[in-house]
Amino acid sequence: MEDTAIRFENSPQDIKRQILNHLRYSLGKTPDEASIGDIYAALAYCMRDRLMDRMLATRARFREARAKRLSYLSLEFLIGPSLGRNMLALGIRQACEEAVKAFGVNLNDVEAQEADPALGNGGLGRLAACFLESLATLNMPGYGYGIHYDYGLFRQEIRNGYQIEKPDQWALTAAPLQMQRLDRAVLVPLYGRIEHFKDRWEGYNPSWMDWQVVIGVPYDIPSCGHGGHTVNYLRLFTAQPSKDFDIKVFNQGDYFAAMEQKIDTEKISKILYPSDSIQSGKELRLTQEYFLVACALRDIVRNHLDSYDDISDFAEKNAIQLNDTHPSLAITELMRILVDEQWMDWEPAWDITKNTFAYTNHTLLPEALETWSAGLLAHLLPRHMQIIEEINRRFLEEAITLYPDDLQRLARLSIFEEGNDKQVRMANLAIVGSHSVNGVSALHTELIKTRLLPDFFDMWPDKFNAKTNGITPRRWLQKANPGLTALLEQHIGLDFLADMEKISAILPLAQDAAFVEDFLKVKRGNKVKILPLLQDKAMIKADPDAIFDIQAKRIHEYKRQLLNILGIMADYLALVEDGEYPASPFVALFAGKAAPGYTTAKKIIKMIHCMADVINNDKRTRGAIRVGFVPDFRVSIAEGLVAAADLSEQISTAGYEASGTGNMKFAANGALTIGTLDGANIEIEEKVGGENLYIFGLDAQQVADMCAQKTYRPREISDQNPELARVMDALKSDRFCPGEPGLLEWAWHYLYNENDPYLHLADFASYCKTRRRARADYADQEGWANKAICNVARMGWFSSDRTIKEYASQIWKIAPVTGLNGE
Amino acid sequence: MRYENSITSGVSILTIKEQALDASVAQDLKETLATYAQRAKGAFVVDLSHVEFLDSTALGALVSVLKVLGGASELYLCNLRPQVLSVFSLTRLDRVFKIVPTVGSAIQALSG
Repeated sequence: MEDTAIRFENSPQDIKRQILNHLRYSLGKTPDEASIGDIYAALAYCMRDRLMDRMLATRARFREARAKRLSYLSLEFLIGPSLGRNMLALGIRQACEEAVKAFGVNLNDVEAQEADPALGNGGLGRLAACFLESLATLNMPGYGYGIHYDYGLFRQEIRNGYQIEKPDQWALTAAPLQMQRLDRAVLVPLYGRIEHFKDRWEGYNPSWMDWQVVIGVPYDIPSCGHGGHTVNYLRLFTAQPSKDFDIKVFNQGDYFAAMEQKIDTEKISKILYPSDSIQSGKELRLTQEYFLVACALRDIVRNHLDSYDDISDFAEKNAIQLNDTHPSLAITELMRILVDEQWMDWEPAWDITKNTFAYTNHTLLPEALETWSAGLLAHLLPRHMQIIEEINRRFLEEAITLYPDDLQRLARLSIFEEGNDKQVRMANLAIVGSHSVNGVSALHTELIKTRLLPDFFDMWPDKFNAKTNGITPRRWLQKANPGLTALLEQHIGLDFLADMEKISAILPLAQDAAFVEDFLKVKRGNKVKILPLLQDKAMIKADPDAIFDIQAKRIHEYKRQLLNILGIMADYLALVEDGEYPASPFVALFAGKAAPGYTTAKKIIKMIHCMADVINNDKRTRGAIRVGFVPDFRVSIAEGLVAAADLSEQISTAGYEASGTGNMKFAANGALTIGTLDGANIEIEEKVGGENLYIFGLDAQQVADMCAQKTYRPREISDQNPELARVMDALKSDRFCPGEPGLLEWAWHYLYNENDPYLHLADFASYCKTRRRARADYADQEGWANKAICNVARMGWFSSDRTIKEYASQIWKIAPVTGLNGE
Repeated sequence: MRYENSITSGVSILTIKEQALDASVAQDLKETLATYAQRAKGAFVVDLSHVEFLDSTALGALVSVLKVLGGASELYLCNLRPQVLSVFSLTRLDRVFKIVPTVGSAIQALSG
C-alpha cells in the first residue's frame, strides 16, 4: 500500500498539540515535568514527523519517474544544527514560535538546546552538507552516505591560552533528528585471505575466506529542500558487532571476549579523525574508509536491484561522487560486486564502474594526497588488493602504448608507488576509475592540471573540469542573518532564496540613502548580537562601531593566521611606540580548531592568546584595538560571525587554498574580503569587482617562482622594513609573552626560515598596507556600505545551487523531478 | 549442532537445524558433513533453510568437506536465505558449490 499523505497541519495549535503528544508518548513526560530540553526534543520530533511524510512522498515520486540517483560519498558531513533550518525550510518558524510560548519558553532558547553535530573537520564536510541541501532544493534525487560517528570533531576549550580537546557527544541528543533503519543493515567483511580455488568449470576462482564480519546499521537524517517539496536523506552508518556471534560467546560465559569483540567493532564508527590535511596512516582510518564504502555500495546496489532487476544499466541509473580520495575504495568495491557477486566479465564491469564514479580533488598539497601501505591494505582487504593490482595492470598496458619510452612517467602514473614500503596512491586509483575529475575553483583546477597531476591531464584532458564550490543561501543568509534577509525581503521579496542570482536586484539600492542606512543598522545589530559571545567566550568587550575583522577557519600554516598576527602586532606597536592610531578602531577576531597532533597550529592558538593578553590589557589600546579568540568554532558559531563581520580575512599563500567557502559566506553577508589571489578569492574578485574587496600579495605563479628559484630571503625583507623588524624583535624579546620568557621564540625562528613554504614575510608589507587602506575606507560608512551591498548583490553565482546544477548537468546527468506538470 | 537427516526419492538430505552457523559449531558441522558424505557416498543435499547467519568459519568447514570429497562430489546446497546466499557470492563460492533453490530441484539434479 503506497501511502504518501502529508498528515500534519501547521497552525500553532496543531503544533502545540503535537508537542504535547511527543512529550507524553515519545518522552514519557507531562508538560509540568518537561524541561526546556524536553520541549526541544518534542518539537524536533514534530519536525521529524513532517519530514518523514515528505521523505516518503519524495521517494515515491522519484521511483515513479525511475529517476537516476546521485550518491555522495563523504567521510565528513558537517551538517550543523537542523531544527532551525528545517522550520525555515517548511515555512513554520513563526507557528513554532507561538506553539512553544504555551510552555513558557521562547523558541531561540529551545533551539539552543540542540547539539551542533560536528561530523566534519572544515570546508570539505561543510561543502557536502551544503550540496545535500541544494540537491533537495533543486528537487534532485541526491543522497549522502557517511559514517555515524559517536564522537564528532572534538569540542575545543581554551585553558591558559592553550587548546584542550574534549569529546563531542552529539549523538546523546541526536535521537529526534534521525531514524534508525535496522531493515537496511548490511554485513561488512574485513581481513581474511585469498584461497585460490577452481570453479566448477575449472576456471581460476579466488575466494575471500576467513574474514571477520561487522554489521553496518544506518541512521537516516532527512535533508529538506527549501519549501519542503523534496526531502532526501543523509544515510550514516554505525558499526556494530555481529549479534549472533556475540550471543554465542555470552552464552559460553566469556563476557570479556564478547566485550572485546564489541569494542573493537564499534571503534570503527567511534570517532571522526580530527585532521583536515594531515594523514595519519592509521589502520582504523583505512577501516573507516572501507566501512563507509562497503555499506554505501551494498545499499546503492540493493536499491538498484530492487527497482530494476538488471545490474547492467547500473551506470545509467546511478552516479556516485567521491568527496576527495577518502571513499575511493568504492571503485574496487563496485568492481568486486560486479565481477564476484554479479558474475560479470571484467570489461563491462569496468565500463560501468568508470561511468558511475566521479572524483573531486580538494587539495594542492602533494603531501596531503592520500596513500596507504599496500601491505596494510592487503591485510585488511585481500580481495580488493587483487582487484587494484588488476586495474593497475590493465591501466599501465594502456599507458605504455601512449608513453612507451617514458618509464618515469609510467612510474608516476601507476597506482602503486614502489619502494621498501610499497604504497597505494588513492588519487591515482580515483582518477583511473572515474570518468570525471574536478577541482573546486578555477585556479585550483588549473593547478591540478599543471602541477599536481600533469601526467594524468596529459593522458585524459577531457576528464578534468572545474566546479567552483558554493554555499547554500538558506543556511548562510536566511538562517545566519535573519536581519539582512528581512531587509532584502522588504525590497526584492524572498525569491533570491531559491534563486540566489536574483539577489542582484538590490544592486541599485547601493545608492539609496535609506537602504544604506538600514543595511548599516542590520550589520550593527548583528555585531551587537554576538557581543555576549565575545564577552563570555573570547573575554573581550567589543565596540560594535569598530571594524569586526574576522579570520575564522581551521588553524593551518598555509592559511596564515601568523601573517594576521604579525599585522596586528605591527598595528599595536605603531600605536604604543609611534602614537599612530588605526584609521578606524578594530576588533580582530580569530576562530578555528587545530588538529590535536598539529603542534605548530596549537602554538599559533597560544600565540594569539598571548598577543590578545598584552594588547587588551594595555590601556593605550582602549577604543582602538581589541583582539579575541572565539573558542569551539562550529556551524552555529560561524552563523553569528559571518553575519557580524566587516572584514573577512582570506589570506592563504596563493596556490595553497583549493577554493575556500568561508570567503563566500562572509562576502554574501556583506563583509569585504581582504585576501590573496588564491582559490575562489579570484572568482569573488571577478564577480564583485576589484574595487569592492582588498587583494594583496604574491599570486600563485610568483609564489611558485620564488620557491623554485629559492629567492625568498626573510631576513633581507625585514632589514628593509623597519616596521616588520620591530615586530620580529618583539617576538624575540618576549614583549608579547612577558610572563613566559622564550615562549614565542619559535615563531621568530620559523618566520626567518628561508624554507618557509608559506612565505609569510614576503606578503607582510602589502598586507599591512592594504588592511590599513581598508580601515581608512571604513571611516566612510556610506562608502563602505556601498561596497558591502555590492558584495551581497553580486554573490549570487556562489550559491551551491549553481554548483550542483553544474555537477548535475555535466557530470552526474541527473535532472530535477518535481512531480509538477508531469516532470 | 542440531540437524535432521532423511531420504527422499533415494536421495540423502541433511537439514541443518541451527539458526547461526559460526565458530561455535564449525568443527561439529565439518565432522557431521564428513561422516554424512561418507555414508551417502558423496551424493547428498544440505538443506540450509533454518540458517539465518553463516560466518567465515562455518564457510571454511563447508569448503574443507568439499575438498575432501574432491571434484567428483555431488554435494548440493539448497534453500539458502538471501543473507546466507550473499556470503557465497561474496566469496565466489557460489561458483564452487552446487547451489539450487529447493530440495526438489536438488533431488531432480541428483536423480537426473
